[in-house]
Amino acid sequence: MATQNKPSGFANPSLHLALSILFVTIYELLLKRGAIDTAHLSDRWAWTGVTGLASPYVWLAILFVILSLITWLHVLRYIPLSLAFPISQVVHVLVPLCSWLFLGESIIDLRWYGIALVSLGLAVVAKPVARLEERL
Amino acid sequence: MTPISFVIILIALTGHAAGELFLKRAMDTSNAVGFRSRKFVAPFTAGIVLMTVQFFLGLGLLQRYDLSFIYPFQGLNVILITIAAAVLLREKLTLQLVIGSALISAGIVLVSFS
Repeated sequence: MATQNKPSGFANPSLHLALSILFVTIYELLLKRGAIDTAHLSDRWAWTGVTGLASPYVWLAILFVILSLITWLHVLRYIPLSLAFPISQVVHVLVPLCSWLFLGESIIDLRWYGIALVSLGLAVVAKPVARLEERL
Repeated sequence: MTPISFVIILIALTGHAAGELFLKRAMDTSNAVGFRSRKFVAPFTAGIVLMTVQFFLGLGLLQRYDLSFIYPFQGLNVILITIAAAVLLREKLTLQLVIGSALISAGIVLVSFS
């Protein structure tokens, strides 16, 4: 496993992991906004998703996709995928919460339980991270 | 959900998992051979292509379903990617990682079913 000495300051991979998660949350919300605006366009190509490009929200989202990819690639240089990927799944808590807050989508009881279970899993996964931090 | 949507979700999911593995392989390789070597460029290109395909398939799904319904399907990839990274990339798995990943996956499935 190529886990090099961890750089500090702005190059800190943990900071990039946090940024990547933030960018993913932002682009998911922007994509949904763009998708709502373009849902009525041509049926023929709709399944490919490319009609979404008619919305400026989708282009802004793509910018955040690129930012999240760059920060994520930096994370991958230093943190094992089997650790970084589960941590990045905190977006499954953030995205539904933000869909609820900003897009007015509803969250039924079962979905709240799911969000709680994801948070519990994250807490379990976060322990090895704390140890990794100590070691590095 | 129509059967075609289900197939598109499956393709998007596996494309995402394979894309992550290729990108991780590429970034690991870059530590040793730099960014110009074919050993980096080949898996990096494969990763970017797969991520692009799954991005547009996901966008198409978003046009038809709620974000909070569609997005969590990707969570099934947590357990898939964690195990694939251990098997294919020889990363070290701890019991905590497996339990945590399984809990995250289960939680995400619960969110999806609602």
